[in-house]
Amino acid sequence: MSLSELSVGETVFTTAFAVTRADLVAYADASGDQNPIHQDEAAAKAAGLPDVIAHGMYTMGLVARAVREWANGAGIDATLADFSARFAKPVVVPADGGAEVVVEGKVRKLDATSVELAMTVHSAGEKVLAPARATLAAK
Amino acid sequence: MPPTEPVVITPDSVTRFAQALGLDDDGTVPPTFLISLTLPAAERLIDDPDFGLDWSRVLHREQRFAYHRELRAGAAVSCTSTIESIKSVAGNDLLALRTDVTDGEGLAAEVWTTLFVAGDPA
Repeated sequence: MSLSELSVGETVFTTAFAVTRADLVAYADASGDQNPIHQDEAAAKAAGLPDVIAHGMYTMGLVARAVREWANGAGIDATLADFSARFAKPVVVPADGGAEVVVEGKVRKLDATSVELAMTVHSAGEKVLAPARATLAAK
Repeated sequence: MPPTEPVVITPDSVTRFAQALGLDDDGTVPPTFLISLTLPAAERLIDDPDFGLDWSRVLHREQRFAYHRELRAGAAVSCTSTIESIKSVAGNDLLALRTDVTDGEGLAAEVWTTLFVAGDPA
C-alpha cells in the first residue's frame, strides 16, 4: 500500500492488548523503571492510586507496536519520524484479570511523503492517552 | 550539563525491551527504548541536591520523540540533557526536559519529557 491510498479521517486500525502484572514486571526489568507503583499494590495505594498502574511508557510502547504492526501489515514502507503522547489517566492493572488497552489509529494529516496518525487509547472506559500522535515518513 | 560518555545499546538490551512489549526484534532500537537512556541522563540534572526533587511525587505527564535516523542495536550514543522550562501551576511544578541523543554521525534523536511534580502537601 502507498500513502496515496489513505485518506484523512480514516480509521486504519483498532488493536486490543491484554496487560497483566507479569507484563509490567517484565517491562520494569527491561526498561530499568522499577518504581514500585507499577508492581506493588501497597505502594500504589500509598501514592494515592486505586491499584497498580502500568508505566506510561509501557502503554506508549504498546501504541508504537500497534502502529508498527499496522504499517507492516499494510505494506507501508516508512520509518517513524515523530511520536508523542500525553498521559491523561493511568492504566489500572488489577492482580486478577489484568487490564485491556485498546488503541485506535486514525489518519490525521497526509501528504506525498508522510502520514500523521492520531491514536485514541482507552482502558476500562477511560481515555488514557490524550492525544498520542505518530508521524511516519516514507522511505 | 556535559554529554554522557557514549554507551553502547547492546543487542541483549534491545531484545529484552522488544520482548517486554511484544515487538518483533528486528535489530532496530524500539521507538520508546531511548527513554531508558534519556531519563537516567536527565536524572543527573534533577538529582542535584540544590534542586531537590522527590521522585515519589513525580508523574510522567508528556513524552515526545523525534527520530532523525533509525538506530540499530550496537549503536554507541551519548545523551545531553537540558531543562527547557519549569512552570508552577497551583502549587505543583511542570518540569520540561529535553535530551539530545547523538551517535558518531551527529544528532540521531531528540527526546522531550514533561514531569508533573506534586507540591509539598505540608
